[in-house]
Amino acid sequence: MTWAALLLGSLLPLAGEAPHFETEILPLFTRVGCNAGACHGAAAGRGGFHLSLFASDAAADFEAIVWELEGRRVNRARPEQSLLYLKPTGQLKHGGKKVLGEREGETLLAWIAAGVPRGSPRRLTSFRAFATPEIITSASRETRLRALARFDNGPEIDVTTSALFTSPDPSGATVEAGATIRAVIHRRGQHDLTVRFLDRVEPLRVTFPLGDKAVNLASEPLSNLVDAEVIQTLKELRLPVSPQASEAEYLRRLRLDLTGRLPTPEEQKLFQQDTSPEKSKHLVNRLLQDPEFAEYWTLRFSRMLQLRSLPNEKEGVAAYTKWLRVGLEKNMPMNQWGKALLNATGDSHEYGPANFHRMANDPRAEAELVSKIFLGARLQCANCHNHPLDRWTQDDYHGLAAVFARMERGRLVAVGARGAVTNPRTSEQAVERIPGVRNLNGPSGQLGEFSTWAVSSDNPAFPRAMVNRIWQWMFGRGLVEPVDDMRTTNPATHPELLNKLAEDFVRHGYDLRHTVRQIALSRAYGRSAAAVPGNEADNRYYSRFTSRPLEPEVLADAIADVTGVGHRFANLPERTRAITLYDPLTPAPSLDILGRCNRVGACQEPAAAQGLAAKLHLLNGDLLNERLASPASRIAKGIEEGRGDGDLITEVFQRALARKPSLEELQGWVKKSPGEKSPQRKEFFEDFLWALLNSREFNTNH
Amino acid sequence: MNGKMRQVRCDGASRRDFLRVGTLAPLGLTLGSLKLRGSNQAKPRAKSCILIWLDGGPSHLETFDLKPGVPQDVRGPFQPIHTAVPGMDLCEHLPKTAQGAKRFSLIRSMTSPLGEHGLANHYLLTGYKPSPVLEYPGFGSVLAKVRQEKSDLPANVAIPEWRNIGGAGFLGTEFAPFTTGGDPGKAEFRVRDLDPFPKVTAKRLARRREFLQEFDKVRAGIEKNAPSDPAFEQAYRLVTSPTARRAFDLGEEKDVVRASYGSRLIGQGCLLARRLVERGVPFVTVMNTGWDTHNNLTLQLRDGYAGAKTGVGLIPSLDLAFSSLLEDLHQRGLLEQTLVVVMGEFGRTPKVNIAGGRDHWPRVFSVAMAGGGVRGGQVIGSSDRVGESPQDQPVTPADLAFTIYTLLGVDPRLEMHTADGRPIQVNREGSLIPGLV
Repeated sequence: MTWAALLLGSLLPLAGEAPHFETEILPLFTRVGCNAGACHGAAAGRGGFHLSLFASDAAADFEAIVWELEGRRVNRARPEQSLLYLKPTGQLKHGGKKVLGEREGETLLAWIAAGVPRGSPRRLTSFRAFATPEIITSASRETRLRALARFDNGPEIDVTTSALFTSPDPSGATVEAGATIRAVIHRRGQHDLTVRFLDRVEPLRVTFPLGDKAVNLASEPLSNLVDAEVIQTLKELRLPVSPQASEAEYLRRLRLDLTGRLPTPEEQKLFQQDTSPEKSKHLVNRLLQDPEFAEYWTLRFSRMLQLRSLPNEKEGVAAYTKWLRVGLEKNMPMNQWGKALLNATGDSHEYGPANFHRMANDPRAEAELVSKIFLGARLQCANCHNHPLDRWTQDDYHGLAAVFARMERGRLVAVGARGAVTNPRTSEQAVERIPGVRNLNGPSGQLGEFSTWAVSSDNPAFPRAMVNRIWQWMFGRGLVEPVDDMRTTNPATHPELLNKLAEDFVRHGYDLRHTVRQIALSRAYGRSAAAVPGNEADNRYYSRFTSRPLEPEVLADAIADVTGVGHRFANLPERTRAITLYDPLTPAPSLDILGRCNRVGACQEPAAAQGLAAKLHLLNGDLLNERLASPASRIAKGIEEGRGDGDLITEVFQRALARKPSLEELQGWVKKSPGEKSPQRKEFFEDFLWALLNSREFNTNH
Repeated sequence: MNGKMRQVRCDGASRRDFLRVGTLAPLGLTLGSLKLRGSNQAKPRAKSCILIWLDGGPSHLETFDLKPGVPQDVRGPFQPIHTAVPGMDLCEHLPKTAQGAKRFSLIRSMTSPLGEHGLANHYLLTGYKPSPVLEYPGFGSVLAKVRQEKSDLPANVAIPEWRNIGGAGFLGTEFAPFTTGGDPGKAEFRVRDLDPFPKVTAKRLARRREFLQEFDKVRAGIEKNAPSDPAFEQAYRLVTSPTARRAFDLGEEKDVVRASYGSRLIGQGCLLARRLVERGVPFVTVMNTGWDTHNNLTLQLRDGYAGAKTGVGLIPSLDLAFSSLLEDLHQRGLLEQTLVVVMGEFGRTPKVNIAGGRDHWPRVFSVAMAGGGVRGGQVIGSSDRVGESPQDQPVTPADLAFTIYTLLGVDPRLEMHTADGRPIQVNREGSLIPGLV
């Protein structure tokens, strides 16, 4: 049976009838690419012919095909003379050249010959796609792809050949059509394919294990809900795990992630001496209650919400930062927090969250910000056309913008009496709408209705987006990346884990600290960054901890702490910590060179202080050199107090690396020292400390 | 950072070595098979590339593709002037550029579907449409990776900043553009942190490096990564080389030369770029911001400030910078080996909006290219009557990237590798722009 015959045969209930417009003709256009963004699916169409992107609007497509240009595109009397047939079969000049095969052309002709029937609308009630097998272990590196659909709750039928299977990354996997549709895997690992059928877009994951031999992870304990799926995925991928990190490493890692600071030598000693079997738990709880946690996570929230001062106005960003910090200190449940943000009005210099609305210039920009935070989604594409890879439509985008249309964004934030957003699709005033859910038709106060929905159990996207961000803050990488681009076609590395963490977060009252604690106490978080044979390249499956550079503010503070010489930023008090600079416009050249986020756009992952300019700054710049040379430095004081080489070296190791030097290290460095009487001693220690503060063990969290 | 190049490295900058990279490409596609016109053109000539990046999206309708015969709301405020090349009329505020029209070529049929800055930046600067799973490297980063030159100067420099994605992408920060900071247009311009800190002598710098290596050796053994930090090594070479630092010193240029480029950042940036390519730096980006002209075209593009008697806006500044750069490179015999590209991320809407500006328009826009094997004095492709769509010879950013790489002697089908070992071609969807070389 040929491939096109399969297409016809596959929709058995229709055999003998004219091809059905919505479920056979439009999918055919989708499959060969007619309605893709690069062709007639572009917002302005192509060559004067516009189709909705990926057949998202069947009624409009029918109109365009059958009625536009006085119906010139189809010739019912002589179907083979239809433009709709002549162009894509290459018989008439066509910018897209010949795209339809013979059998496809016949399907099209059959439909035209039947009088271009619109056909009764058939509603797709279920759709699923799967690979057999999902995990490929055979040498053929192939797996068969299938898609099943149900219309109007009728019987499930095979729609494999009408569905469009694509691989976003052809170097990893390709889709091959022959007697069957197969995925051919070119590279080991997980591959996420996309399946498109009518208005559905679904992901389909196929795995080709990273190793040839199964790994035994049965003895690997599971601390909590985090570990189950992590281990399951590692088994599937055949990745061996690294052992747990040492206590000293864990303390340093956790202290950096929870408070943006290094542990002091005293703290290290206390933790080491603690003999309780629950010492990690106690440590996590203690750090979560420390005001330093709220202080540091305020910075993370400020980046997420893009806090920055407006021209000639510092008061707003100060009030906003304070509100965020108090909320974190009091552990305000995140659903209440979200609602307060969305509904905030009033004097933005006094009432912090009112500034939320001021971080966007207009309703559309606010819709984009709101969708990032509360939907974990990027709605931008849907400004001009329905989102090609997601369910968002133009009505959704402009409908959400309309919710904020009356917002007055001056110092006094208020919902005004006027303001509207035009939906370019209809050229009419956009109807206020919860994206993807329903229109808001109440007489007024749609903002209240939207905000109630946004943080309710009706919006599972919000907790998912929040826990994904928390995960990223703890591991340097979200389960979904980028964190504000969550959609079915961009699946999580661990989809079930994301679901479970989100459910757990909701069940515990949207408690941020609870989720942080779950992650911090997992085996996955506790693993060593040291590689074992077989997991050297892993950076996303948690077979080992992925070390990452300290973010600019944390690095600058750590340098100040280790050297003992604090910062002086602009006209702020001495010893101000970089992580507390609430306005990204506060002058701090060192931080900018190291890659401080300007918070104008989203800085998803804190920039790494790693490029050539950053290295040059650490080599020649003042951030480090001034502190090393300062007579007030810890080293200068230690020398003045007559402390021995070993003593000083040990302290520096502890402050910077949160561990004591090994005997070999200690002896090695003492030997290099010019001696306790030498006039070169201070210079030696400056150079020693300079090297330590540029070392990978210091400038990464590992 | 661990991405490995499967290819034999080409350490010299000689033409023969560039060809070797191509010949050994895994797919067997050689540069010789790329059907360049004429035998002498089959060899890449460009050793270096200067990219004048007009950030924000320059209006094609006010620069390289004016439409005089259409209604006012499309035409915009400026008139075209003739050049020595028939059919290559330019904006009246590009008079010096117009005089040297035979030195460069225009592509007037660039087309892309991406009209948002971030996405479009990525496409134009890498030749790849943005992907959620991978950030692709920009031209300079790829070139730095392929050439692997052990120079004291960085292989990829951005003046003064790099504001976009399309940096090093998956190649890692080692290949990211080095940013000079500061404003070369200012008299006190110094490249940030290029001079040693007081009292830190060369001897001490050497000792610091030695100590650092000792620390990193231990960590590298544990995490199984590179034993030394390439970005640090590069910084160290730059600082300790007796000649490298001088490359950044505009004070060595004669006043008359400095003046010819114009006093603005773009002009002095181009002069600095010339000094760098003269010393073998493979890729220099001059970042010129402000082209996102949603309002008041005349003020931003021509005047520069309200009430200006002589225009010092974006276009007159570009005129001085671009024309002087081509002239200077030509006089020094460097133009043949230096590819110069002038572009931004997209064009602007055919209709002037109510604020007297134009909005984003990727469907058609223009790019100017010169030197490095580009045959000057040509117009490739055209836009339609109102500058809305390509009329013929549409050229995608992928095609442009293919062409830039080819001219620079990088086989577009060469495979690079991501940190997790994925092979990625330098360019995938492009083909050579016909008629350009």
